[in-house]
Amino acid sequence: MKIRVKFSKVGVLKYIGHLDLMRYFQKAFRRTDIKVKYSGGFSPHMIMSFAQALGVGVESLGEYFDVEIEDGQDVSLMKDKLNAEMAEGIEVLNVTVLPEKALNAMASVAASDYEISFTDGVNPVTESMIQRFKEAKEVLYTKKTKSGETTFNIKEFVFDVQCTKEGVFMKVDSSSAGNLKPRFLIESLLKQEDICVDDHPFHILRKELYLRTPNGDLEPLDHA
Amino acid sequence: MQKLALPESVLMEVSKPERYIGHEINSVVKDKSIVDIRFAMCFPDVYEIGMSHLGIAILYDMFNSFEDTWCERVYSPWPDLDKKMRELGIPLFTLESQEPVKNLDFLGITIQYEMVYTNILQVLDLSGIPFCAKDRTWDDPIVIGGGPCTYNPEPLADFFDIFYIGEGETEYRELLDIYKECRRNNVSREEFLHKAATLPGLYVPMMLDVEYKEDGTIKDFVPKYPDVPKTVKKELVRNLDDTYYPEKPVIPFIKVTQDRVVLEIQRGCIRGCRFCQAGQIYRPVRERSVEYLLDKAHKLLKNTGHEEITLSSLSSSDYSRLDELLNELIKECNEKKVNIALPSLRIDQFSLDVMNKIQDIKKSSLTFAPEAGSQRMRDIINKGLTEEDIVNGSRLAFLGGWTKVKLYFMLGLPFETDEDIKGIADLSNLVAATFYDTVPKEKRVNGHVQIVTSTSFFVPKPFTPFQWAKMDSTQDFIDKAYKTKQFIMGELNQKHIKYNWHEADVSLLEGVFARGDRKLCKVLLTAYKKGCFFDAWSEFYDNEKWLEAFKEENVSIDFYTTRERADDEVFPWDYIDCGVNKSHLLREWHKAQAGEVTKNCKVQCAGCGSARFDCGICVNR
Ligand code: SF4
Ligand code: SF4
Repeated sequence: MKIRVKFSKVGVLKYIGHLDLMRYFQKAFRRTDIKVKYSGGFSPHMIMSFAQALGVGVESLGEYFDVEIEDGQDVSLMKDKLNAEMAEGIEVLNVTVLPEKALNAMASVAASDYEISFTDGVNPVTESMIQRFKEAKEVLYTKKTKSGETTFNIKEFVFDVQCTKEGVFMKVDSSSAGNLKPRFLIESLLKQEDICVDDHPFHILRKELYLRTPNGDLEPLDHA
Repeated sequence: MQKLALPESVLMEVSKPERYIGHEINSVVKDKSIVDIRFAMCFPDVYEIGMSHLGIAILYDMFNSFEDTWCERVYSPWPDLDKKMRELGIPLFTLESQEPVKNLDFLGITIQYEMVYTNILQVLDLSGIPFCAKDRTWDDPIVIGGGPCTYNPEPLADFFDIFYIGEGETEYRELLDIYKECRRNNVSREEFLHKAATLPGLYVPMMLDVEYKEDGTIKDFVPKYPDVPKTVKKELVRNLDDTYYPEKPVIPFIKVTQDRVVLEIQRGCIRGCRFCQAGQIYRPVRERSVEYLLDKAHKLLKNTGHEEITLSSLSSSDYSRLDELLNELIKECNEKKVNIALPSLRIDQFSLDVMNKIQDIKKSSLTFAPEAGSQRMRDIINKGLTEEDIVNGSRLAFLGGWTKVKLYFMLGLPFETDEDIKGIADLSNLVAATFYDTVPKEKRVNGHVQIVTSTSFFVPKPFTPFQWAKMDSTQDFIDKAYKTKQFIMGELNQKHIKYNWHEADVSLLEGVFARGDRKLCKVLLTAYKKGCFFDAWSEFYDNEKWLEAFKEENVSIDFYTTRERADDEVFPWDYIDCGVNKSHLLREWHKAQAGEVTKNCKVQCAGCGSARFDCGICVNR
């Protein structure tokens, strides 16, 4: 059977890269008595799939991965078993059994919530910027790519945006087809008043990852 | 509250910030207000290398098992961070507490190879500790060195307060107790060091003066006080089943060089290859029991979650119960889906069967280290591996499906002739020919055989029979590598032999420091100030700067490398007693000249002197 694990990653562990995080969880599983399924061959490995790589330096309260385990184990104990093996800063929040036909974590991701807080404590994003952004018919953003530049209407990828005390809350597209980096939105908001994003360093906290239900709603990834 | 010594702006800019944040699983955090002694344990190279070192893991575990002591880790900051720390004035810190190293009581540095000497200066420099021991006060930690290079610590003598000679498990407790007492009684740093110098295995350079002859060689060693011994005897663990071994080693977040459980099956080696320092300084060979090892393997796999385990020793094939150990280990590992990474074993039916069980033959390769190409030269170096062993071993392996062979040799061994060099090419060719003789065309898995022949340059090391040998010059090395290449090109199977050779410049420097004396301290410091560090990394090694440093300090490289040494020369390291007598080494040096071999400890005791430790092979023969 397949389980989906939800976890948080905060504090100094935000510097752990994606591949290292995978190895970290593989080793953690091996320290528990949870029986994980392995691939065959001379160097068997766990069959694990992460919803989305989290950038180095980004914190999160809503990360997910799927892993295949042997049938017949008590899933209700797994959260505690895993948490006994965690380093300070990573906590397993939920372990759920995936329905037979559920899409894997990576393919499921549709959107993310982010909380942006500016490092120096002053929020350069104002209510009026948000208002102007929301009222605009389209807001073009030009992104540099390997093969040059592409310009797109960033509004299509923003489902919600609000001003907070420390910065900005946003719900944006995170699907493989339209993954929007939080930085792009911050940059667009500030640019409306000719403020340069580089002058305002910020922290990113991912709060949740969502899937889209058949009727089009966004639900947290562990509601599969 | 989690604490970091480096600000976010720095961590986000340097490569691999995970090297500096600590907080790994199984790292030990204690309440600093209740411990008496804080010990910083340093491997002066990058984190991934330092974290792979078993010796440090053992000592970390030992120190932290003492209730009054907190041991933390330190590694060399990579050049990108080094630069930032200097710019921003951030002092070097330990990983656990993220506090400046300078706040601690001890800075222990393991010295595994000569090319980290400048990194030691980097560590001192970034910590804000004066380079020279004589300039330090109680505001500075006691700087203590250990590891194989301390069998000749003289090129580093100025920079260390103490060197610990031998295996660390035995004498530290006593040193820590004396330290506590001295601090309680408010005695001077010098008096503490004086006391330390009287402990077994501890060498305090400040307490031993060196007198030189006119020709620059050593006349005598003179202790500063009558109670300071003139000879420092190495320390060793007699019973390896009854000592510290970490059951919960730190698990790094990033992939380190040894990302696996390391099981040290024995210490020492029964063979006396005459170029090999490890074969002498770790004598006598002492084995751990299979029962002990299986118990540790089980616990370590459970506590780390590593997916691989490896055996560590100088010569695993000589471990007396190897088949029993491996069979049990394979059983456990299959169950747990754990890989076994085998150290290079003597190639015979047993080892091939084992490899067959645990590796993909198509991908794995066989390794032979004949070290010399001709039988004459193998007799000189006392390498008991014959052409027949290699041919028979390869034949068996080729029949079993292997097609890749790695061969390791040394160039520049004493008394080497062109014939010996040609022997490298001939032997490589012979292995290739054996493949075509053995495996019929239709059964050749990859169609052909792949031989990789590598040569390194021989560097004479202290406490070996070759400590008297003159080393080749850089030009000799380059010429010999060229000759080897030519000889290989002349072989019938040259198409299937790939030849690799080492950098000659680095070997030369290694040669200088290996048999160096105190006069080299100033060269090191000058080279460091010119910007030399991370010399073990070819991208940072700057030969020009080194040559400048020697010139400016008026120190001759040839004195240490190409000079002939008389049988009765007093060497800079002669005040150390590693267990093997100098008279034995000299006898071996003469036997090498005569091309005579010496049997290994299992076959016949050669009376090297180590029997006085009264343990290991010397008593269980
Ligand atoms: S087998 Fe020879 S080279 Fe290897 S460790 Fe023993 S003495 Fe040294
Ligand atoms: S005393 Fe004999 S058996 Fe012991 S290490 Fe020396 S040569 Fe080997």
